[in-house]
Amino acid sequence: MLKLKAVHNKSLAMLMMALLLVLTACGSNNASPSGTSGSSGSPTSSGSSGSSGNSGGGSDITLEFQQWWGVELPDGALQEIVDGFTAQTGIKIKLLSNPYADTRTQIAAGAAAGTMADVVGLDGSWVYDFAKQGAIANLTALMQADGYDDSQLSDQIRVDGNTYMIPVVNFAYPMYVNLDLVNEAGVSIPANWTEFVNATKTIKEKTGKAGWAIPLSTESPSGIQNNFMSWLWASGGSMLKDGKPNLAGNADLIATLEFVKQLFDNGVVAQGAYAMKEPDMVEEFTNGRVAFMTDSLAHLTTIKSEAPDLNIDFIPIPVKDGYTGKSGMDVANWGIGIAENSKYKAEAMKFIEYMMSPEVNAKLAVLANAFPGNIHAQPDYPADNTLFLKAYDIYQAGYAINEFTGLPTSEELMRQFDEQLQLYLDGDTKTAAEMLEKTQEIWVKAFK
Amino acid sequence: MNTNSINMRKPDSPTLRKKTEPYLYLLPTLLLMCVLLIIPIIMVIRYSFYDNVIINKNPVFVGLENFKLIFENSTFVVAVKNTAVFVGGSIVFHMILGLAFAVVLNTKYLHRRTKAVSRVLLALPWMFTASVIAILWKMMMNPNGVINYLLSVANLGGSHIEWLASRDFALFSITLINIWAGYPFYMVSLLAGLQGIPNDLHEAAAIDGANVSQRFFRVTLPQLKPIIISLVMLDFVWTIQQFALIWMTTGGGPINATEMMSTFIYKLGFSKYEYAQASASAVILLVVCTIVAIFYVRHQRGQE
Amino acid sequence: MVGENKWYLKAFAIVVLIFGILYAGFPVLWMFLNSFKPNARIFAWPPVWISEKFSLDAYMEIFKDPEKVRYFINSYLIAFVVVVLTIIVSILAAYSFSRFDYPGKKIVNTLIVSVQAVPPIVLLIPYLSLIVTFRLHNTYGALILTYMLLTLSYAIIMMTGYFNTLPKELDEAVMIDGGSRFRALWQILVPLATPGLLAVGMYTFMLSWNEYLFALALTKTNDVRTVPVGISLLMGQHAYEWNQMMAMSVLGSLPILVLFLFFQRYFIAGMTSGAVKH
Repeated sequence: MLKLKAVHNKSLAMLMMALLLVLTACGSNNASPSGTSGSSGSPTSSGSSGSSGNSGGGSDITLEFQQWWGVELPDGALQEIVDGFTAQTGIKIKLLSNPYADTRTQIAAGAAAGTMADVVGLDGSWVYDFAKQGAIANLTALMQADGYDDSQLSDQIRVDGNTYMIPVVNFAYPMYVNLDLVNEAGVSIPANWTEFVNATKTIKEKTGKAGWAIPLSTESPSGIQNNFMSWLWASGGSMLKDGKPNLAGNADLIATLEFVKQLFDNGVVAQGAYAMKEPDMVEEFTNGRVAFMTDSLAHLTTIKSEAPDLNIDFIPIPVKDGYTGKSGMDVANWGIGIAENSKYKAEAMKFIEYMMSPEVNAKLAVLANAFPGNIHAQPDYPADNTLFLKAYDIYQAGYAINEFTGLPTSEELMRQFDEQLQLYLDGDTKTAAEMLEKTQEIWVKAFK
Repeated sequence: MNTNSINMRKPDSPTLRKKTEPYLYLLPTLLLMCVLLIIPIIMVIRYSFYDNVIINKNPVFVGLENFKLIFENSTFVVAVKNTAVFVGGSIVFHMILGLAFAVVLNTKYLHRRTKAVSRVLLALPWMFTASVIAILWKMMMNPNGVINYLLSVANLGGSHIEWLASRDFALFSITLINIWAGYPFYMVSLLAGLQGIPNDLHEAAAIDGANVSQRFFRVTLPQLKPIIISLVMLDFVWTIQQFALIWMTTGGGPINATEMMSTFIYKLGFSKYEYAQASASAVILLVVCTIVAIFYVRHQRGQE
Repeated sequence: MVGENKWYLKAFAIVVLIFGILYAGFPVLWMFLNSFKPNARIFAWPPVWISEKFSLDAYMEIFKDPEKVRYFINSYLIAFVVVVLTIIVSILAAYSFSRFDYPGKKIVNTLIVSVQAVPPIVLLIPYLSLIVTFRLHNTYGALILTYMLLTLSYAIIMMTGYFNTLPKELDEAVMIDGGSRFRALWQILVPLATPGLLAVGMYTFMLSWNEYLFALALTKTNDVRTVPVGISLLMGQHAYEWNQMMAMSVLGSLPILVLFLFFQRYFIAGMTSGAVKH
């Protein structure tokens, strides 16, 4: 009897462990039929990504490409493009997707744990920090080793002189106009800030709808980069000097702040700004509740398909009164980089070169409603998309700019600016100059 | 830990077997927790004493420096305050709603089928993942969303209220959402507890002349006390680290109106890349919750 | 309760019930309605209840996509295994806490409760490294073990509480008859604690089904991913697929709904089948 009880206890414990082990084994078998997931890597946690898997011996290399782009492109389009690379080189590409909002966290964790994919989609605001973390590889060295002519790249994001990310396609942020609202209010298209203030006031009075919108949610503070700084850059201003923050005493910035505050005080800005994210702002515009909006050109297709009756147009962003120089247009981009602990850096570089090659790059640009990252690419934009072409013209009349790319803790800088901006707009901070001083103080800490 | 399985085979002194028996029952739990939970926690505690963790391959030992930085951080103070309000409000209303609904679901005044259907309906909020709840409520609390619409139809609202975007309303709004999302857990647990109270107790009290509310406060509640205390304590620990809900509705904003310990830690770690400080903040949370846990365990022992 | 039939109590109950159902149900109803609208109509003002462009597109998109269906299968599988294992392990541990007294018990008890306190996001990096070391990355096993960790605490607390309400005389009765403690546990205590087991089981299922952070962090490929991750993948950088998100959430909550409906009978059965005290 006593022995029996002892056996019971012990055997139960053993059964437990056995069950767990069986499940674990089952799990591994179920989950990675092609064996390219990180679990089949080396036992040390500095691990491997993109191991060659067990797809037979020989030249079969599979690169893992982690991105969020597939969701934004037509079904299967991205797969088709990368299949072209496989056709050319025999190297397979495995597409992995992450939700955009969590990509940065996943890359940071993946880099630390060694589970990163070989090739990663990146946003310009993450580059500095990942480079410092040692998560992404030095592309300059790889390009040189390959003899790649990098003059065809429209831009390269550098840290300490070396490139860590290459923008594949650029999303410009022109100003959308809801012509229905404009006509209903009987205003004309504003060309400078004063006209903009007046136009939005009239629109609000005559139609009750918002004149402008800006997403200022601190969770995703890209509104600072895309919607606020757009005003500054369109009027030739800059928030940096020699790559360091130049906020305090910056006359252009002070003017921009006061201009935006005026819009808020006039009540013409769409409600809920402090909790709004970019997709929310687009929803407001699509539903006909906003007259003017600075937004990504990539949304054009979505807006047209969801609101085919909406009468929209693009206009050059109104400039500061009296400004006559070229206008900078904000661009965000889909960038690409290579994981530092990838075992196939050379092959990954080849893949990047493929994605940047004029033909492929052009095709991707058309599919994404974006501008190519290769200056020689000739995208074949559908000729009947007159609006898109108009935006393209406006873009080309100016220059592309995004001062946040490559800054240390970019997103955090945007967030801090956002918080200070909210304090200023709410009246807690009395003057724009004061707001800039405070923000400068905070920003400088990141640049040490 | 004292497992001595080799001794188990021999039919020897009962005392030894008796001694190790409780530990054996605990074995699977302890194994799992030690390996997969304790180790990372120790690592996190370790991180909190260094600087430049993760970012730098060779972090520097800095002792309590990180903790000092955290306590001096003004946002941290705000986060603590907000968390207190958020957690406090959530627990109180979770309890009130959970108890009210559980009692109603247990009452003899309603038809069995009504209760069956209601049980499911009342438990609905529980069936959704945090991100879905966040999105749904964000949609409803949009200045142009359905809540403001209903308010305007009922002539209750002024102009559109910015539930999540105004410093005055944001904390209130997310607490509201959390209450909605979390009361079913209380409800179900309390319902099971109510059903475990033997009828004789109620009958005896009634015979003694107690009316309904007296029965409720003198018989029902005391019987439920152990469960209530467990619930409060658990809810405290869970709510204090609630992240997804807050992050996806307000991100800690506007400014820091809804900054919680959890969002504070997240931003430190994944936006400022100060993993060491983030670890230090996490350790502070851990200490607070451990204290609560100690009280709970003391209370449990008092019960036996 | 004794046979009083106060009308105001009944009225009170009904009022609370109606309030509760509206409170709980309206947002869910809103979600349900929105899953049938085309994306553009979701934010219309005044809000549209049922769009003239009513469509099942969102649902069709989900059913047609084998990857999305796979999310559901994965979620089911993982949740089921987690429930079974958690219940077994927690019963054992709770028995230990409830029936024995031994050195270190207080410490272990405290430990089990407080380890939940570390925000998962902070544990993410070291935990991920650990999982990689055990070569469990991107497997069902990783998620199963992780969810067990997350639910054991509550499960043990609850089961301990339930066992504590069952008098030790019951165990002793079995042992006097020559049975082992083990037998006492499984033959007597567990059946009596059924309502508690069900609550624990449901809670575990739900946590497992709804968990997002680790489901995302511990997996890489979509063949191991679960429904919450699937929903997030519908949130692109530039646009959300609102109606699909709502549809997927509705579909995702159905199993839990069914479980509830099913288990309710057992709740009642458990209550009538055994009085706790004689």
